[in-house]
Amino acid sequence: MTPDALVFSAIMLGLFVLAGGSYGVLYGAGRIWRRPQLIKTGFACYGIQVLVTLAIVALTPLSIMWKVFILLSCFAYALIPPATWRYLERLHHTEGKTT
Amino acid sequence: MDLQDPAFWRAGAISTTLVMLVVLIFLTIDSLAVSRAGGSHVPDYTVINHQIGYRYDWSRREDVPVIGGDQPLFGKTWTEPEARALMQEGKLVIQSRACMDCHTFFGNGAYYAPDLTKAWLDPAWQQIWMPMTGAKTQEDAMVDFLMHPERYPTWNREMPNLHISEPEARAVVAYLKWMSAIDTNGFPANFGKLSIQH
Amino acid sequence: MYRSQKLALRYFTASATLFGVMVIAGLLSATYYVFPHFLFGIFNFNMSKILHIDTLIIWLLMGFFGSVYWFLPKELNRELEGIRLGEIMFWVFCAAVAVVAAIFIFVQYGPGDETSLWLINQGRKYVEAPRWAAIGIVLIVLTFAYNVIGTAIKARRMTGILWVLILDLIPLTLLYLDAFPAQTNISHDLYWWWWLVHMWVEATWEVLIGCIMAWALMELLGTSRRIVETWLYIEVMLVLGTGILGLGHHYFWIGTPRYWLSIGGFFSALEPLPLLGMVVHAIYDAGTHHMQTTNKPAFYWLLAEAFGNFIGAGVWGFMMTLPQINLYSHGTQWTVSHGHFAFWGAYACGVIAVFYLAAQRSRGLNMVDNRSWKWGFGLLNFGMVGMVGALLIAGIAQAFFERAEGGSTLQAFVVAQSNPWFEMGMYSRLAFGFIFAAGYTVLMYDLLTVGKRAPAVAAQSVAA
Repeated sequence: MTPDALVFSAIMLGLFVLAGGSYGVLYGAGRIWRRPQLIKTGFACYGIQVLVTLAIVALTPLSIMWKVFILLSCFAYALIPPATWRYLERLHHTEGKTT
Repeated sequence: MDLQDPAFWRAGAISTTLVMLVVLIFLTIDSLAVSRAGGSHVPDYTVINHQIGYRYDWSRREDVPVIGGDQPLFGKTWTEPEARALMQEGKLVIQSRACMDCHTFFGNGAYYAPDLTKAWLDPAWQQIWMPMTGAKTQEDAMVDFLMHPERYPTWNREMPNLHISEPEARAVVAYLKWMSAIDTNGFPANFGKLSIQH
Repeated sequence: MYRSQKLALRYFTASATLFGVMVIAGLLSATYYVFPHFLFGIFNFNMSKILHIDTLIIWLLMGFFGSVYWFLPKELNRELEGIRLGEIMFWVFCAAVAVVAAIFIFVQYGPGDETSLWLINQGRKYVEAPRWAAIGIVLIVLTFAYNVIGTAIKARRMTGILWVLILDLIPLTLLYLDAFPAQTNISHDLYWWWWLVHMWVEATWEVLIGCIMAWALMELLGTSRRIVETWLYIEVMLVLGTGILGLGHHYFWIGTPRYWLSIGGFFSALEPLPLLGMVVHAIYDAGTHHMQTTNKPAFYWLLAEAFGNFIGAGVWGFMMTLPQINLYSHGTQWTVSHGHFAFWGAYACGVIAVFYLAAQRSRGLNMVDNRSWKWGFGLLNFGMVGMVGALLIAGIAQAFFERAEGGSTLQAFVVAQSNPWFEMGMYSRLAFGFIFAAGYTVLMYDLLTVGKRAPAVAAQSVAA
């Protein structure tokens, strides 16, 4: 791997997780404070994560195995915040705690 | 399957942990065999009697250690018990002086001083310290440096004198030579093959 | 207050004190990078680093012990079994730490033999303490385990949190046995050493802090036991499910088989996913309580725990965990950046939250909210983020110039260390370190004085 590719790839990988985390935070914040704008911003962050994923697949010298892993992870990141949220709501609801 | 029942997740936690632990145990048994002295990745201690190199292997696409012809260490060919005793002493010195709290070994340790994984193969011994110390062999230059680092500084961050005796220094040098022959899956990459244009 | 909770307060005091020693040793270590002749030959970098990383482990461990001693009597509604022994062992712990620190400062090292390892310095990172002290740690941990397990047996009661804690204490104790051997074969030495280090900070400690956070959430937010236990089981499943084989990300380059690059890389790359779930959960908890709580600093430090863990361990870790990247980033300041951020987010923030909870209860305060905690919170987190950012730049420069461009020789090392980006990173790290230290001072002032500064308020006696 060239030095430039090293730095580019590492930064893309960090951005990948950061974008996914931002999506999770904004999605959650939007749901709890009932602000659709925050949820939309969250989806925009997920959009950034998708773009970063494509950049990783197209532009980095990582092996094909890791590129497939990143693609699958990207799908997983899409599901985790809404699935977690739904689960939390149901869990708290059955305790008599509603949001 | 009630996802809101803690018992479901408790069962999941127990079963996941157990499965992962069983896999880890099997991999540990194999890894320890591969990495024992004389295993496929870690040479026997008598490798200190040989030339050691580091060459790119196209089939593995990484650098691999190369064990060459005879190269006595300190003018001597060491028997297996002698080499083992030397390694034991070398490792005790490395621990007693807490070398790992300034240097790294296979990249593990502290980052204030250079990585020592391939230190035996570093061109600096031939290019800098043999002329500085006037030693006839690389290993003698290394011993002199370890015993009196304050005499041979090369930049503003210096190695302190840790009162390493001559037998201790020889043991450490032998240890570094053995360590440089370990197959580390290509770490560090391109050792000694590149020159920096800065 | 139960005797156990008074012991907890002593542990918190010792923990906070060692946190300060860690900060001083950290500033000293950072100083050497910019003034390499400072105390040269008198007190070298390796000894300063030993103090820094060993006090890190001890202050967090004392924080965990204190947290368990604080919450456990309320969990089982009784005093802890063997509390007298626990009280004695606390003083033994403090004395041992003081003696070991004195040895590290004034003796430092000995000849290359087993006697030095028994009496002075074992020279293996995080477990440099001489063997006699390691024996002491084992006795202290066994006493702690006896306090916990003995109480549960006597009370004839178990809870889910307690089951998880007790089962976690077994590997936590056994793993520490790797603090003793001095194996000649460095590949084997490091193989087992990583069982201790990784399985402490990326497995058993994660479970332990999970238990503590479960109790903290019940106390701070009134969350039901069923909910915290459900989350605890999910967390244990995901953290151990990814972390046990994620251990393999330390087995890329130490002479072990090649399959660890795939296995370790894969499971390690999965590790951020449970942390994402924890962040979402933290948002949920914060939101359902409309950011209102009777203990603002504890609440915010718990949030910092979730976010810091995700970013420090998750984002930073993911940047460098794939083997093709790690080949170049391994053993550079990039690792240091990740290590600081991960420890801070995963453990330090959580322990500080419990400090505030205990301060509130032990002083019978209805409400904890003032200006000082905000300054402490801000300075510490700003200082940490600044240090981590500086180390990241230095680390990337080092990976670029020393490893990728230079081939990792001594010359490459020197060139990278002298690179302007690297040097700027070292100066910045020191500057942010002073900001962090200022934050620590404010935090200590606040913890010592909260509830004592304000005019007398009608403080209902809070069930401690």
